[in-house]
Amino acid sequence: MMRHLLLALTFAALSNTLLHAQTLPFDMTPERPALTSPTEGQGGNGTVQPAPAVTPVVEPAETEAFQRYILPNGNLGLTGEFEDRTWSVYLTPRQAASGARLNLGYQNSIFVAPEASRLSVEVNNTNISDQPIRSPESVSELSLDIPKGLLKPGSNLIRLRSSQRHRTDCSIQSTYELWSNIDAEKTYLSFADNAAQVFQSLDDIRAIGVNESGLTRFNFVVPALEQPGTTISLMRLAQGLAVLADMPNQSFSFDTDHMIASRPGEMTVLVGTPAELQPYLPSLPTGAGSAPVAGFVEDPKTGTPVLVLTGPTWQAIRTAIESIVAPTDVVAPVRRDVITTQRWRAPDAPFLFSDTRLRFSQLGLNTEQFSGRRFRTDFAIGVPSDFYAAAYGEAVILLDAAYSPNILPGSHIDIYVNGSIASTVPITSSGGGILRHLPINVTMRHFRPGVNTIAIEAILKTEDDTVCAPGATGAETPRFALFDTSEFHMPDFARIGQLPNLAATAGTGAPYGRILEAIPLFMDRIDADTLSAAATFLGRLAVGAGHPIAVETVASPALIGNRSAIFIGSLSQMPQMVFTQMNIAETSRNTWGPDPGGQAEGVDTQAALDEWRQKLRGGLWSGQINAFEAWLKRNFDITLTSLRFAATSESSFTPSNEASLLVAQGPSPDGNGTWTVVAAPTGRGLHEGMQALSAQSNWEQLAGRITTYQRGTKTVEAVPVNAFDFMPTQPASFSNYRLIAANWLSTNILSYAVLLAGLAIILGLATATLLGNLGRRR
Amino acid sequence: MRKAGIILFWAIASLCVIALVTLPINLQTQLIASIAVVTFMAVLKILRAEGTWRLTALAFGTAIVMRYVYWRTTSTLPPLNQLENFIPGFLLYLAEMYSVMMLALSLFVVSMPLPSRPSRAASPGKYPSVDVFVPTYNEDSHLLANTLAAAKAMDYPADKLTVWLLDDGGTLQKRTSANLLEDQMAKARHQELQILSEDLGVRYLTRDRNEHAKAGNLNNGMKHSQGELIAVFDADHAPARDFLLETVGYFEDDPRLFLVQTPHFFLNPDPVERNLRTFEKMPSENEMFYGIIQRGLDKWNASFFCGSAAVLRRQALDQTGGFSGVSITEDCETAIDLHASGWNSVYVDRPLIAGLQPATFASFIGQRSRWAQGMMQILRFKFPLLKRGLSIPQRLCYMSSTLFWLFPFPRTIFLFAPLCYLFFDLEIFTASGGEFLGYTLAYMLVNLMMQNYLYGSFRWPWISELYEYVQTVHLLPAVVSAIVNPRKPSFKVTAKDESVLVSRLSEISRPFFIIFAVLLFALLVTAYRVYTEPYKADVTLVVGGWNLLNLILAGCALGVVSERGEKSATRRVKVTRRCEFGLDDNWYPATIDDVSVHGARINVYAKSIGLLAVDTRGLIRFKPHGSDIEEILPVAVRNTQVDGDIVTIGCQYLPEAARHHSLVADLIFANSQQWTEFQLSRRGNPGLFRGTLWFFGLAFYQTSRGLAYFFSNRGAGDKARKSAGAKK
Repeated sequence: MMRHLLLALTFAALSNTLLHAQTLPFDMTPERPALTSPTEGQGGNGTVQPAPAVTPVVEPAETEAFQRYILPNGNLGLTGEFEDRTWSVYLTPRQAASGARLNLGYQNSIFVAPEASRLSVEVNNTNISDQPIRSPESVSELSLDIPKGLLKPGSNLIRLRSSQRHRTDCSIQSTYELWSNIDAEKTYLSFADNAAQVFQSLDDIRAIGVNESGLTRFNFVVPALEQPGTTISLMRLAQGLAVLADMPNQSFSFDTDHMIASRPGEMTVLVGTPAELQPYLPSLPTGAGSAPVAGFVEDPKTGTPVLVLTGPTWQAIRTAIESIVAPTDVVAPVRRDVITTQRWRAPDAPFLFSDTRLRFSQLGLNTEQFSGRRFRTDFAIGVPSDFYAAAYGEAVILLDAAYSPNILPGSHIDIYVNGSIASTVPITSSGGGILRHLPINVTMRHFRPGVNTIAIEAILKTEDDTVCAPGATGAETPRFALFDTSEFHMPDFARIGQLPNLAATAGTGAPYGRILEAIPLFMDRIDADTLSAAATFLGRLAVGAGHPIAVETVASPALIGNRSAIFIGSLSQMPQMVFTQMNIAETSRNTWGPDPGGQAEGVDTQAALDEWRQKLRGGLWSGQINAFEAWLKRNFDITLTSLRFAATSESSFTPSNEASLLVAQGPSPDGNGTWTVVAAPTGRGLHEGMQALSAQSNWEQLAGRITTYQRGTKTVEAVPVNAFDFMPTQPASFSNYRLIAANWLSTNILSYAVLLAGLAIILGLATATLLGNLGRRR
Repeated sequence: MRKAGIILFWAIASLCVIALVTLPINLQTQLIASIAVVTFMAVLKILRAEGTWRLTALAFGTAIVMRYVYWRTTSTLPPLNQLENFIPGFLLYLAEMYSVMMLALSLFVVSMPLPSRPSRAASPGKYPSVDVFVPTYNEDSHLLANTLAAAKAMDYPADKLTVWLLDDGGTLQKRTSANLLEDQMAKARHQELQILSEDLGVRYLTRDRNEHAKAGNLNNGMKHSQGELIAVFDADHAPARDFLLETVGYFEDDPRLFLVQTPHFFLNPDPVERNLRTFEKMPSENEMFYGIIQRGLDKWNASFFCGSAAVLRRQALDQTGGFSGVSITEDCETAIDLHASGWNSVYVDRPLIAGLQPATFASFIGQRSRWAQGMMQILRFKFPLLKRGLSIPQRLCYMSSTLFWLFPFPRTIFLFAPLCYLFFDLEIFTASGGEFLGYTLAYMLVNLMMQNYLYGSFRWPWISELYEYVQTVHLLPAVVSAIVNPRKPSFKVTAKDESVLVSRLSEISRPFFIIFAVLLFALLVTAYRVYTEPYKADVTLVVGGWNLLNLILAGCALGVVSERGEKSATRRVKVTRRCEFGLDDNWYPATIDDVSVHGARINVYAKSIGLLAVDTRGLIRFKPHGSDIEEILPVAVRNTQVDGDIVTIGCQYLPEAARHHSLVADLIFANSQQWTEFQLSRRGNPGLFRGTLWFFGLAFYQTSRGLAYFFSNRGAGDKARKSAGAKK
């Protein structure tokens, strides 16, 4: 009750601040003190001091306009003949109001024919540029004027479309030589008004943006970092910020004393009592000594905004933190309709829990007419963490498309799920055709919890391309059309949680996102590195779950019992139970040392073995058997190891010395809870490893029961799950159990055959008895 | 209670199997399960496991079939918005589902057929009075004489046995016909048969009007007779001596018994057997019905009346107003009515009559058309599934028997479905190569194995398909017309005493050659498309393989419609019987080697007689069965062959008196044991693999024979056609 009241008050205070801030004229005078208090006359008597409004900026001397990088994942390659990327950039009201230009730097492959290739840019569905692609030698910059009023506060859609054609070659292969590289460093919004840099309200946290590599970082400076009482609050704050910002590559770093200058895509967060913060911020918001304060102030050194959370006591600071985090909370786990992806791909991915049909137009695809030879486009959908249909499931794409008469049979339309081929539809008739809701079964084998990308690629062969007369590549007669009336149909699929399943944890924060009680968080030591790693990890989970996850720190593993828990620290300090439950060799406590460095890698054993196999193929019997195995694998995807009755038990895992970070999952001792471990040989390795792993391209690869990150090679390796426990997530229903059985039996192939044989024998006996007792017997 | 428990257990087991087979498992799992099941069934088959293992093997097969049905239903139908694919695709689907349904029904009927009943001889002294009805319409008097003589010679107290010749060819209506020729023929027939009956001691009966065809004729017979039991023999079905003794006993056991049916055994091959030369070595077509299916029906008290070779209870017939005549298959119809009123039937699995079947392909088709149309009428007028009074198993049994005759539809669809793809590029069956292997191929293998399990020694592989195909071409229109206009078909008597003297093409052979040509063309298209469209060669090969199977069947059918000319009109029956041969008052010791309804071959021990001139008159003296007095049968010598001291004489009977007919009947029909032995001699299961190889070899040879007839007989066709109906 008390807590609620407190929150309500905080909200009131915040909105008040916002109003106030808007009324405050912007001041450029450099002589003014760095911090003013715009909050006079307000709520001095309440428990919560209103957050300070933004202070006018001490404008740096240079006249350079404020820039915001906009590529969410760093350099962007537009490849092939057709590419269409859309994402959104969050702008503060000030940024939206100030006039802006969009600067775009790109360089393209020498093979791209300028006369037939175009790059177009749209902002909020308004085309602001459509130009030939002609910058093979160096990075060219386009400076595009964004019409006034086009940008709006909040999310703004940016869309890049490229249409590229080869200069000379008409082959399918040649389309892979086509690329335009959008240079992240030279691609930004530049605001005429430098005040756009200033953050006013807490909502502006969402506008944190990215740096020139697509990274986002929150730099916490917490002098009282190592005091045990602060950890929970800090973790909660980190998660709240993570959910608010919702950027694809965000990480957290903690420090007790260094306040580094903020750069684009970074935000400094100061947390502490006024006394603690005094060294970093000479002029603290007034009232900080008596009430909680949360808001932006100006860094006197750089002029960049700094998020300050302060109050007379840590109790008050906690209240200040709540004022940021509370809006992101969910009271009870609610089913999300979408997984928010728009910061890196728009629209948000629809979250599919059961039988659903979605039109392509709802998935953000437009009707496209295409005149080249390789058309590729994609969309994203979200799948829940208890997805258990990879072995048997098939989704259906009902394709509305057309192809012209000159398309030769032998052309095909391929469907890729998360980059793996899932289906191929050959075009077998000549003379053109219109496909009306042509059903294409898409295997769910490559689906994983969280966001999935499904790509449609049409490989179009024509006689003209075989001849390839000069100029043929640039022909503009459409050969293929994809209509947005096509549908994606996700059938009902088996839903049951699996433990361990790191992919589910990575995708939607499962199972922690669904647990209402605080999750025990075990850290072997509370220092900056461990906290950074923990915050980054929890931030990732919170983004996946869509809300912050409550945690409590536990001093001793004994206090965890059988609850779901998270362990973060160096492996050597992990409790013994962790090794048993995760099936990690206990010896690795001592043997897993720091990465010897990025020297030349050793021989890849598997690759070498395959190579030897290749060499020795065609031997005697073994050769024949190998050939047969290969044939089975090729045609039916059956390997001898897939012929099994049930899962074999896990073998013990020892991290290799190349691995710099390890994430493992296993059941709690009684099997009811989920334990997840994030470990590295050293604290520093933990921090850096987690930071690297949290990048979207790596995080997506988190899977299996153990995933390791190799710093030397920058690769992620997953140890697949062999044996796992089911964790029911749905109310018991026959239809769900039936689908679960289908998936289990499709995984344990021999069990099905044996079950079928067993039941057939029982039925045979039953029939024999039945017939022996019915009808005439003699 | 115990029964309810067993049913419950069975139902639960079935539900478990259904739940398991309707899981949407992936292709790999299906593939492995298919391989496991096929292997298991093959092992059981090789081990010749019977009893419970037989039912287990069938349960295995059923599981795979059900998986196929599940998959076929859920993932292979073309999308509804592609009507050009969907319509033929759905027809094909329906055809397959019909096949599966028929498989299910036949599994129900024959998964555990009743073992052959032990002989149940009538108790001495308790012989009920029997009226033997021999209905006739236009059969030759010689033929009738044999049948009547055999009927008269049955072992039964003479005062309890009355043989009736029910003549529908000499009715008052016919004798006063406006058609002069018909009028004269009917009068002559009336006269002739009256005399014959007189001679043989048989009652002749005719009626005023030819109403309700055979049923009406039999009912007329009932009106004039009083016997407790009625035995019915077709004009060409001659009973063995023990026919009545082996059958009437059952009526004593069960007062509610209305029918004892016995198998129809044929002395001559049907045109398929004759033209393919399989009569001597392969079980006849009807042996599957009489050897297995009737026994299966008998288990469920659903064995039905087949028009002849059966004994019925008058009391039962009286209750339902005699023989029913709504449909043109009065026999089955009568049985349904009586079963529905609570009467029982019994099937005796032992040939006790021998008869003739149509010799030419055209009359064979005519006969089958009547059956098919009659069954359609029953389906329409007496829909067995909903017929009150029948038990549930009886309903299923009758559904199985009547629905069987819808086979021309699926056969036609299976024949033309591959052409949809090969000629028109329609995709009426959406499946990948792997799915085809995992589901369709497994289903086909399992289907063949199940058929072999069920009917193995009674029906060789692919023979059912061949029979269905050769009938389909002409039966399809007949069935369609019976469905469209169920009151139209009228009873046509099947001619069975024709013979083919000159090798020729059947007069209704043309469609077979046209279909063969189309399928052959499709084979060429297959090859062309595999070559020109390598990107879909897999599909083309699968469809082309299917077409090739059709082509093999169609090729074999060419042999079926190419009628072989034969010297002997009827099949010779091997008998070894002592006799004496009389020539010019000298008697030589001899044995009768084989006999037919027209003549016999005799091995005579005589050094001196040398070659005899054709038409030399001779005599055969032998003791008829159950008699100690030797009797003499006059014959004419047709050919002689000298081999050392043994002279083999082929001779033709010259029956002069009625008694001579009885002697002929005694030679051929007296001993029913010999027919059983003959049937057993050709019953053997070649197995799936050997049977298939044999069939392909046969088909190849018959294709070439059919084509040779086609090209050499085209000119002679007209001439041959004229002599087609020639009777010997």
